[in-house]
Amino acid sequence: MGLAACMAVAAIAVQSCGGNGSGAPGRDAGAAAPSGARRPDGSLARVRAAGVLRWGGDVQGGAPYVYDDPDHPGQNKGFEVDLAIALARELGVRAEFVQNDWSALVPSLERNTFDVILNGFEVTRPRVGRVRFSPPYYVFAARLMARRDDARIRADVNSLRGMRIGTLTNSFSEEVLKGHAEIVGYEGTEEPYADCVAGRTDGVLLDDIIATIYGVPKPELRVVGDLADGFYAIAGRPADEDLGVALDAALARIIASGELERILKRENIYNDRQLGLRTWSADDQRRMLGLSPAAPGQTGALGGPPPGAAGVSSTAPHRMTLGQVWMFIQGAGITLLLSILAMGLAVPLGLALAVSRLYGPKFVARLADLYVEFYRGTPVLLQLYVLYYGLASIIRLDAVTAAVLGLGMNYAAYEAEVYRAGIQAVPKGQLEAALSLGMTTPLALRRVVLPQAFRLALPSVTNDFIALLKDSSLVSVITVVELTKRMTIVAVDTRSYVVPGLLCAFLYFAMSYPLSILAKRLEERLARS
Amino acid sequence: MITIDKLQKKFGDRVVLSDISVTFEKGKVVSLIGPSGGGKSTLLRCVNGLETFDAGSITVDDLKLEPGDAKKNKHALLAIRQRVGMVFQQWNLFSHRTALGNVMEAPVHVKGVSPAQATERAKALLDRVGLSHRMGAYPHEMSGGEQQRVAIARALAMDPEALLLDEPTSALDPERVGEVLDVLRKLAKEGQTMLVVTHEMRFAREASHRTLVLHGGAIIEDGPPEQVMDHPTHERTRAFLGKG
Ligand SMILES: Nc1ncnc2c1ncn2[C@@H]1O[C@H](COP(=O)(O)OP(=O)(O)OP(=O)(O)O)[C@@H](O)[C@H]1O
Ligand SMILES: [Mg+2]
Repeated sequence: MGLAACMAVAAIAVQSCGGNGSGAPGRDAGAAAPSGARRPDGSLARVRAAGVLRWGGDVQGGAPYVYDDPDHPGQNKGFEVDLAIALARELGVRAEFVQNDWSALVPSLERNTFDVILNGFEVTRPRVGRVRFSPPYYVFAARLMARRDDARIRADVNSLRGMRIGTLTNSFSEEVLKGHAEIVGYEGTEEPYADCVAGRTDGVLLDDIIATIYGVPKPELRVVGDLADGFYAIAGRPADEDLGVALDAALARIIASGELERILKRENIYNDRQLGLRTWSADDQRRMLGLSPAAPGQTGALGGPPPGAAGVSSTAPHRMTLGQVWMFIQGAGITLLLSILAMGLAVPLGLALAVSRLYGPKFVARLADLYVEFYRGTPVLLQLYVLYYGLASIIRLDAVTAAVLGLGMNYAAYEAEVYRAGIQAVPKGQLEAALSLGMTTPLALRRVVLPQAFRLALPSVTNDFIALLKDSSLVSVITVVELTKRMTIVAVDTRSYVVPGLLCAFLYFAMSYPLSILAKRLEERLARS
Repeated sequence: MITIDKLQKKFGDRVVLSDISVTFEKGKVVSLIGPSGGGKSTLLRCVNGLETFDAGSITVDDLKLEPGDAKKNKHALLAIRQRVGMVFQQWNLFSHRTALGNVMEAPVHVKGVSPAQATERAKALLDRVGLSHRMGAYPHEMSGGEQQRVAIARALAMDPEALLLDEPTSALDPERVGEVLDVLRKLAKEGQTMLVVTHEMRFAREASHRTLVLHGGAIIEDGPPEQVMDHPTHERTRAFLGKG
């Protein structure tokens, strides 16, 4: 009964954060639909009435997209800011930027946090299924970079077999790489290049704008070449067709008048690739969205062969394949392994810290205090970051080692507190009795106090392990693909969070529930004695 | 064998033991009585090094404890604790060990006796305190009297030259007091050196060779039990014994 209730809660949570990508009306997603045959949906009227076009983006993406204006702190700058202002002006409203974590732009759009996404948002196959794309406002190249001294890598996706190539998770470049290289997924733009320099990966495939800013300045790296063209476009809700059509028209006017070219030139990102934007046709749009059957020998604008059977609309949510379920189980295995290894480090280290704090010489006790306060006082995410990226020039840990060390050292601080409480709960008479028999303090601790303290602490330790099982999902920031990361990857592939989310929740639950039963048993046994 | 010389002990500013000088001889049983707060426990704990003291000295055979922290006396302390056993009012049995485990613990891990040998010896000791049938029991499964008898066996397992007992029967149910006192009487008869803090006047009178009365941190009476109890010299002793 407990299990059923838990799964129901999980289902609700997944639904509300993942949104409902399949039931929405207006599923003709973005293809220039004949507007006369459609009843107005009120989206344009709503924006006009509000007098503001709310556009979502993440300033963390940095220049030249949307970034903090160094000359006017607190104000945003970037070619997308200028574009948003121009678009709003064409609609007769004001533009209002809404800051949103980049990885959650789509769910936020679906939850009405803003009207459109306008932030280097690449047209990718999974996204086509969830949002309505305008024609592109920027054409970029997926640019491959590698270490200068590494001659193996050529500007050909087929040459990458067996190599580790870094890219942003769920990006266009990731799609290009799928099936051709071992993909190392990142959340930020600086880290893939840093890891390539450090030798953790063989190359990086990312948008040319990103490569220019983050990759090219690194003297150790060279540009290998471009593998495919991709597009930034405005993403709206499929249901907001009126607004979409109006924005398409506004964008066309901004392009035709040469205003977009001026905007792009201001950030020095204009190039010949943008010439095609002026003559963008309905066919071009269909090809970009991968809706038309690919001509023989033509891979379509999205690169790579289209997934699924021919003729299936790419907007339909995909079933999870058995292969994906297997990947989930592997992800769960990694989560469990990471947690066990990290706990295996946290337990002895925490014990050493607790004993040092209580019985060590003043200097050692003070150091242990500092350790505990430091690790409890700073976010584990930051600690992982520093350990993996910050110290890369000093010690080059592989991702799994860094994850185990990072989580283990963090949890050691919590374990130290748990043991300290346990040690202090052992009656003083126990230590005195041991000492009175001629034991040294270390021996008395080892033989008498600690075994009892550990028994007292065991329920808390078990609970901490359950918490660690879930906290281990944080290591995805340092490229480890564990259960949660696997879930988000599959969710994008299948275009829905519901099934992957439920499976993910179930797997976590299957790992933690036996442990919490164990913790309860231990507590009961402790209460009895 | 134990000589206490001009011992002084303070808790903060409060003097708890003032200028105590006394010698305990081998093979003798000494009972330590006196009103609550008189310093009896503190004196015992000083001898065993569970408390430090501020002046004077304690000598056990050739081992000497001096004022100051435990670190300074570390060597002497460990040696003294192996020679002088302690039995607590609250037993303090190791709660994660069986009766047998409690008795074996120190011989094996302090003296380095082989487990097989230690087991034999522990069984014999438990038999001696009448607990051969309770060897596998954990402390929480035993009565107070049983636990205290295990605690005595545990102290005896180190073959102590002297045994310090701090009110060994005070925390027991009245009907359990006898079984522990019987064990102590037996030990006394066998010539075990003991220093017993007790409120059991009959036991003190029958089993001890000498009685000390500790009051306000000083020894105010010292002599054979009959003499101290029947003809106390100090008026405080009379008050304490209810012979005002
Ligand atoms: N750890 C301590 N800190 C401060 N004062 C203490 C401490 N231990 C004992 N005392 C004080 O020292 C004095 C002597 O205490 P002690 O326990 O030695 O007395 P006692 O003769 O054993 O009494 P009782 O018969 O009640 O056990 C008391 O006044 C007590 O309050
Ligand atoms: Mg006392």
